[in-house]
Amino acid sequence: MLFTIIIPLLFAIFVPAFAKWKDKIHTGYFVLLVPLSIFIYYLQFIGEDFQPISASYSWIPSLMISLSFYLDGLSLLFVLLISGIGTLVTFYSIYYLHKSERLGSFYVYLLLFMAAMLGVVLSDNIFVLYTFWELTSISSFLLIGYWHHRAASRYGALKSMMITVFGGLSMLGGLILLNVITGTTSIQAMIQQKDIILESPYLPIIMTFIFLGAFTKSAQFPFHIWLPDAMEAPTPVSAYLHSATMVKAGIFLIARFLPIFVLNEWFFVVVSGIGILTLCWGSFMAVRQTDLKGILAFSTISQLGLIMSLLGIGTKTAIFAAAFHTLNHATFKGSLFMIAGIVDHETGTRDIRKLGGLMTLLPISATLAFFGAFSMAGMPLPFLNGFYSKEMFFDATLELHDNPLVGAQLLGQAIPYLAVIGSIFTFIYSMYLVFGTFTGKAKLDQLPKKPHEAPLGMLVSPILLVIAVIVIGLFPNLVNQSFLAHTAEAISGYQIEKNIVFWQGFIPPLFMSITVVVLGALLYVTRKKWSKVYTVIPGNLSFNRVYDKIIVGVETYSSKITNSYMNGSLRRYIALIMTMIVVTTFVTIFATGGFQIKTDDLAEVSYAEIFVAVTMALAAIGTVFARNKIAAILILGVVGYGLSLLFVIYRAPDLALTQLVVETITVALFLLCFYHLPNLRKTDDTIGIKLTNGIIATSFGTMMTLVAISAHSSKWFPTISDYYVETSYKLGGGDNIVNIILVDMRGLDTLFEITVLGIAALAIYGMVKLRGEKEGE
Amino acid sequence: MEIIMSILSGILFTTGIYNLLQKQLLRIIIGTALISHGAHLFILTMGKLKRGAPPILEYDISQYTDPLPQALILTSIVISFGVTSLLLVLAYRVSKRNETDNMDLLRGNENE
Amino acid sequence: MSNLAVLPIVMPLIAGVLLAFFHNKLPLVRTLAKVLTIINFLVVLYVFYYVINNGSVVLETGGWIAPYGIILVADIFSITLVLTTNIIALATVFYAPLTLSKKQEEFYFYSFFFLLITGVSGAFITGDLFNLFVFFEVLLMASYGLIVLGGERVQLRESIKYVLINLFSSMLFVTTVAFLYSVVGTVNMAQIAERVGEVEQKGVLTTIAILLFFVFGTKAALFPLYYWLPKPYTVPNPVVSALFGALLTKVGIYSIIRIFTLIFVYQTTFTHDLFLWIAVFTLIFGVIGALSTNNIKLIIAYNIIPAVGFMLLGVGILNETAVSGTVYYLVHDMLIKAALFLLIGAIVHLTGTTDLKKMGGLIHHYPLLGWMLFLAALILAGIPPFSGFIGKLLLLQGALLNGEILVVIIGLLSSLLILFSVMKIFIRAFWGEENKEIQPNRKMANKLTIPAIFLLFFSVLLGVGAELFYPGVKNISAYLLDPEIYIQSVLKE
Repeated sequence: MLFTIIIPLLFAIFVPAFAKWKDKIHTGYFVLLVPLSIFIYYLQFIGEDFQPISASYSWIPSLMISLSFYLDGLSLLFVLLISGIGTLVTFYSIYYLHKSERLGSFYVYLLLFMAAMLGVVLSDNIFVLYTFWELTSISSFLLIGYWHHRAASRYGALKSMMITVFGGLSMLGGLILLNVITGTTSIQAMIQQKDIILESPYLPIIMTFIFLGAFTKSAQFPFHIWLPDAMEAPTPVSAYLHSATMVKAGIFLIARFLPIFVLNEWFFVVVSGIGILTLCWGSFMAVRQTDLKGILAFSTISQLGLIMSLLGIGTKTAIFAAAFHTLNHATFKGSLFMIAGIVDHETGTRDIRKLGGLMTLLPISATLAFFGAFSMAGMPLPFLNGFYSKEMFFDATLELHDNPLVGAQLLGQAIPYLAVIGSIFTFIYSMYLVFGTFTGKAKLDQLPKKPHEAPLGMLVSPILLVIAVIVIGLFPNLVNQSFLAHTAEAISGYQIEKNIVFWQGFIPPLFMSITVVVLGALLYVTRKKWSKVYTVIPGNLSFNRVYDKIIVGVETYSSKITNSYMNGSLRRYIALIMTMIVVTTFVTIFATGGFQIKTDDLAEVSYAEIFVAVTMALAAIGTVFARNKIAAILILGVVGYGLSLLFVIYRAPDLALTQLVVETITVALFLLCFYHLPNLRKTDDTIGIKLTNGIIATSFGTMMTLVAISAHSSKWFPTISDYYVETSYKLGGGDNIVNIILVDMRGLDTLFEITVLGIAALAIYGMVKLRGEKEGE
Repeated sequence: MEIIMSILSGILFTTGIYNLLQKQLLRIIIGTALISHGAHLFILTMGKLKRGAPPILEYDISQYTDPLPQALILTSIVISFGVTSLLLVLAYRVSKRNETDNMDLLRGNENE
Repeated sequence: MSNLAVLPIVMPLIAGVLLAFFHNKLPLVRTLAKVLTIINFLVVLYVFYYVINNGSVVLETGGWIAPYGIILVADIFSITLVLTTNIIALATVFYAPLTLSKKQEEFYFYSFFFLLITGVSGAFITGDLFNLFVFFEVLLMASYGLIVLGGERVQLRESIKYVLINLFSSMLFVTTVAFLYSVVGTVNMAQIAERVGEVEQKGVLTTIAILLFFVFGTKAALFPLYYWLPKPYTVPNPVVSALFGALLTKVGIYSIIRIFTLIFVYQTTFTHDLFLWIAVFTLIFGVIGALSTNNIKLIIAYNIIPAVGFMLLGVGILNETAVSGTVYYLVHDMLIKAALFLLIGAIVHLTGTTDLKKMGGLIHHYPLLGWMLFLAALILAGIPPFSGFIGKLLLLQGALLNGEILVVIIGLLSSLLILFSVMKIFIRAFWGEENKEIQPNRKMANKLTIPAIFLLFFSVLLGVGAELFYPGVKNISAYLLDPEIYIQSVLKE
């Protein structure tokens, strides 16, 4: 299985080389080989006696990340969709994308996506799954932004990435939690340990995290907003990623973890609730669209909602229907997208208001579109696959639940009605889509191009898909025992047998279907009369606006917040830093009993020292009030010389000398540098600022004093200095212990102290010599 | 005496920080100098004060003041000297180049 | 063989001093700098290899036994960081001549560069708290030299803020070391650790620990101490920004990791819980900062902050998984920050502006640069299978093992916003309509991109080839969480 993922990646490396010959042969032909061979490879697994297989390759064993793959009925359905639709889409793209486009990039992204998507559905290791999951988001981002000179493309690309990566990260959180709880990284092993998971107090969080991942990827309400904007991608991409495969990754994820989560009562409420809401909202909004791809995007959203709600119901019928509809949706929606692409390609517009009457001009496309749309609408005709799964959906909604939650019971009651409402709108937009485009009066003067039927090559893929629609419709059991039964079994964990027949007798689902057709037709005909409803719902209510507000808000508010404190004012920086230090340190002193004072081991107080100390303190305070620069510098000198005096008193002759020299030079430097600079001014600070400065400074000083007294009162250990005194002469060969420490015992300090001085000298020299531009000093 | 020295160092820190919070470059640098003095005095105080002779070995003296803080202060004084010199020259260059010694006028804006 | 520990410090020191003498013979200096960097890298690689196989190399400088003399400890943690530092040095030394002006090179860029490496390596390797202060000063002084290099108006203005804040925190540092000396009577880190353990970090010791935390936190740019960081990091030449972004804050976070896994580990309910909160706020405000601007250099500078937040998370959580996450993230972040600054520097160098609003369509001119930036953005945001992901995964796993759900949610959300902040650069600068007026210089662009590719290669390898590194990182984490090993290796009791 690994090679089916590696092949697209390998090809992605070589595609740019193929793209160099694109004038001779369209790059797509090379690429076509990839999905086609993968499709053929996986076809062999279809059969009644199919058994799940797994394969594992070591990657990062110490982190329990291994390339382990698991092919069961569920993955099989998806790999066949990915490779099958992939083949058709690649073939279609050969005619859709002109050689003048950047074909190399396009196919690299497409192959990356293909590999990633195959990886998602085949991985058994959660972190590998997550890796591929993010890779699908990234390749989707690149594909949506393919025509990045358009602002709308960039907007759509960013939007899709933000929302799906958000979901991906959330899913990652859920997966890590699962990993921490179960101690394994294998999904199958987790399913084995579902009792541990179900009893974990973290279960609600896990479910929320993973559902968020699934709902964002599968464009469920209210995260659906990225999908319509993703339609900026070239149409083959929309047909492939944003209808048949990537958006179904969320469905896949829910299905994958269904055996665990279905046992929790909230599963039904959340998954089916969101699903059915998405179904209704998507189909309702689809009717309002004017862009062909817009209609299809909302249609995809609603159909994904349908499948999601089926998974939430979780009964045998529902699960089988979910698998069945996943397959059917890929066929009819894929063909419709391609037709939309053809219409766009041939007429130059996708605006349904400008289209109409194309039946005679594009007869083949029109025929295909009718099949696709009628199948989507669930028209009760025996040769349309859409009807079967739709019927099964109705059937599933009627199955009662023994779920103890009140919400679940309410939802259980409401679901059949909501299903019918959603389907009515589905019916309406399906009719609108085909009749609006192909019947009525042609408005050729409004079209940018003179339309004619697409080249055969472009039609091949939709034709094949429509054939699939019809074949599955006529012989649904072809895909039943040998294929879908395995899928349903893989999802639910137990065997599911389902008989798919067209005529089941006069049972409720039939009446629901008839209601849909009758009411749908009625509302379609009268749609102009009730379309005002859209000014009320959604009216101004738009989740797009919420997204835009968030994105714009994130930037403006972060600017506001940041600029409010990062205002470049040094005083502000220092004040904030000090406040933090002071507050935390005081809290620490009190919380940990940090303050100690011992007065039994102190040096005696002498008048000379007191005199020096008071002088220094006064001088230090004097610097604050000095108004004359020379005076201030000299007062500072007083502090420095006072310090040397203290050094003398405290028996540190070396220090006293050094301090004396350094102080003298420093004062000289001060005078030198500030001679030409303005004199000290009276500060224009407000009293409030002065007060804050004072408080900060005083509390910081107090804090230092308190810590110093505590530290001095806590001499719990003998100092290592005793050793220096003992060995200074013996080992260091000198009398002056401080000198011996400096040059020998701690010689490294001194070496680098000199280095510091050296660097300072170089830096000063550089500053003096190297002047910036336009400075003629 | 250690307590008095701790308070004196605290005062040096206080006045230093107060100066650091001003706008004029000269005051700010005076602030840093005061803080260095405070720091050095703190270090000295942390070895016990006046317990014995200066740390220069002499015949028949066994009690010396703690030499290690003195060594550390020496290192630190020299380093502070280097930094202060750099700071002074930098301050000079900043005020010349930006034509002000007022830090409030040296905030800058986003697009630089 | 214990002399090996001093080589990573002495070699760049000699190089730095040597090059100061030839400063106006540019071609010679350039070649010498490159050669010396390569030699230094190879030597460090050997020391690394030696330490991995034979355990910590402890050098008692001047033959003065521990704990009395200054001890250098090249253990698996410090030598890993020194090696990473030298990888970055390699990339930057080849990049430097491309963006620096001749004048800047002549005025001792290469000396400052080597002395910065000296200071950083020394800070990683020293086992003496006061000596750590000295190395901090070496690297800071070198960084002062680098940041003012050029003497532009804006540069000088931001430099002085940078110098002042660092000067203050240095003074606080040296004072705090004295406080600690007063209590435990030593400045040797191993002995401090031993003695703090003996009294179980009672009394004033936790207060001193918090002060030290703030000293390092200021250097590491933690909330709310990072105000000084973003602006000054954008004003110097990109190669200087890369060195700063990759190395300086990391020395701060290294010191926090070292001190709070070795010495102050007895009051964790107070200290380390505080770190967790600070880490969370660092993440939040750092990300907000990164989103707040259209200045591409500033975006990357702000992105330093949440990364430090991530690393502090591991220290706050303090279990083996989380600490391995921190170590992994630390190495990852050094590489990716350097790479990003080099890439951004290339963009600024080629377009002549830092304002995103003035860019567009660059992908047509500079595809290689664009895709490397794209890759770097993914790595930075922690998209698998790259290095950022492994670190983040370990941190989140570690957080969940301690039941810190909130931390995880904030960690995940900030990843999303980090991706947004950098992808914004890709979308707005590289996509869109191309500016026809720009005279593209693709050759220059490729030259500027190669050093970043070199670094990105390691980032990718660190992710895809995590199996090569993770067991080692796990060892480092286990080693850090057992202070006895360090104490024994130094004091040999």
